[in-house]
Amino acid sequence: MPAPDHRAPAVEVQLLTREFKGGIRAVDGLDLEIAPGEIYGFLGPNGAGKTTSVRILTTLLRPTAGVARVAGHDVVHDADAVRRSIGVALQEAAIDPLMTGRELLRMQGALHGLRGPAARERAGELLERVGLTQAADRRVGGYSGGMRRRLDLALALVHRPQVLFLDEPTTGLDPTSRGALWREVRALNDEGTTVFLTTQYLEEAEQLADRVGIIAAGRLVAEGTPDALKARVGEPMLHVELAEPDSAERARTALSGLGAVELADPGAPTRVVLRTAAGKGAIAPVIRALDEHDVVVESVEVETPTLDDVFAAVTGSHLEGAHGRAGEPEAAGAPG
Amino acid sequence: MIAAAAREGRVVAALGRRALSVQFRRAQLLMPTFVLPLMLLAVIASGTSAAQGLRGFPDIASYLAFVLPGTIIQGALLAGLTSGTALAADVEFGFFDRLLAAPVRRTSLVIGRQAGTLGLSALQTVFFLAIAYAFGARYPGGVGGMLATVGLAAITAVGIGGIAGAIALRTGSLSLLQSIFPFVFVLLFTAPAFFPRELLVPALRDASVYNPLTYVVEAVRGLLAGDAALGDPWLGLAAATGLAVATTVLATLALRERLRTL
Repeated sequence: MPAPDHRAPAVEVQLLTREFKGGIRAVDGLDLEIAPGEIYGFLGPNGAGKTTSVRILTTLLRPTAGVARVAGHDVVHDADAVRRSIGVALQEAAIDPLMTGRELLRMQGALHGLRGPAARERAGELLERVGLTQAADRRVGGYSGGMRRRLDLALALVHRPQVLFLDEPTTGLDPTSRGALWREVRALNDEGTTVFLTTQYLEEAEQLADRVGIIAAGRLVAEGTPDALKARVGEPMLHVELAEPDSAERARTALSGLGAVELADPGAPTRVVLRTAAGKGAIAPVIRALDEHDVVVESVEVETPTLDDVFAAVTGSHLEGAHGRAGEPEAAGAPG
Repeated sequence: MIAAAAREGRVVAALGRRALSVQFRRAQLLMPTFVLPLMLLAVIASGTSAAQGLRGFPDIASYLAFVLPGTIIQGALLAGLTSGTALAADVEFGFFDRLLAAPVRRTSLVIGRQAGTLGLSALQTVFFLAIAYAFGARYPGGVGGMLATVGLAAITAVGIGGIAGAIALRTGSLSLLQSIFPFVFVLLFTAPAFFPRELLVPALRDASVYNPLTYVVEAVRGLLAGDAALGDPWLGLAAATGLAVATTVLATLALRERLRTL
């Protein structure tokens, strides 16, 4: 078996296809490449092909056509080498509820070639890392959803994998547990682990991913950094609510140097809208400019395109659970 | 090569330990494997003991000791089936994916499960021997006979576990495995589990020739009684081992087919 090329992409997929009985193509000609050390977010609705793609890349499913390499190894012809290089935390946390967390970690260590003492030591390290030391000797059936996810992550890290696959890791978790898992993913990435993350949560993709690939009907429909993708569908907008209806013209004059200005609704002249690539960064200059022209401001709201807007632009429909209207306004409040 | 074999040995041991320890945490499966055979033994030993007066019944010291091998083999059948059921649960609920994603030989996944079955049946047989002893069964075959019985029963359990495992891997269906439980008794009663082969009705007697459990039951009977005339231990070992090897290969092929068609 040739040694892997460490300059090779962490994940490399060419024309990957997976067809099921009945001619259903869950993955249809997928192409993507992930650099070592990247966090790649794979975003798409239910049924888009995310989990099927992950199962192929983690050697749990064979492709019908195409080529996939993980850590430099072919997933079909060199599957064992792939398995040695990857850690996997699947969508349905595949954990035996009758075992304890410690037992599972030690078993996983044995499966990855760790001898008894080494497996025990590694289990202890990981239990501490994911905050499960206190619960280590309790059966997993009594764990909360968040604890199970953390254990699942620990199991995926037993052998210090080069590439970590997380399939919807925070589905069903409360915000606190989700945030804790995000912090852990970032910490792992800081240590050099490549992370391939599937999610249907826009915020998760935006918060974690260096690059995002949007998948729909088994194909990659858009790819890029979150900011670059959102810039494709439009600039952020600042909605400025004015205290005095007759100050709209002065507001337009004041803001004209900062971007394109328009009245939000000619019938309601107390709001002007400024389009600017600076987004939230333009709030302070806007307030200063309006102040210099004696315009009193009630509030400023920032509306930015979301990845759902990107999805809608390329597919014509929205992601499930995403907001139906474009953007997610954030109120900045009236200046004091 | 030796290092690789040692590594796979540790994998098999880890999987076997897991299979065995989890089995003891499943009360709903533990009851059938440890209690049901003893209940049947109690009914048969007390209700049919007059059979030893029939012409052609071997000259034996203890009727309980005579029917105990049937119980031991019944236990082995149930141990093998519950092992297959546990495997089906692993497949159905996703735990098997965790094992498949690990860099272990596919055969080790099957053999590891079988190792757990071996351990379960060994513990079960020791339990049955102890309980029967407490109720008056005696074993003229001595410690050697008892140890050989434990080994033979465990190998038989592996044989049944292989069939159950093959079904589990082909279908991934827990409910299908559970529905097979009643058919275990057909296998048992077409072997001379509780009566001498000579006293079975002709149809059952003819069928018993083709049932490998016939030779295992008779071998256990001979080992515990210290009397090879009751059953040839080598024939029993050959039957049990042949069954275990054949069905373990079957289970491995079922796994390969499953992975090929996924």
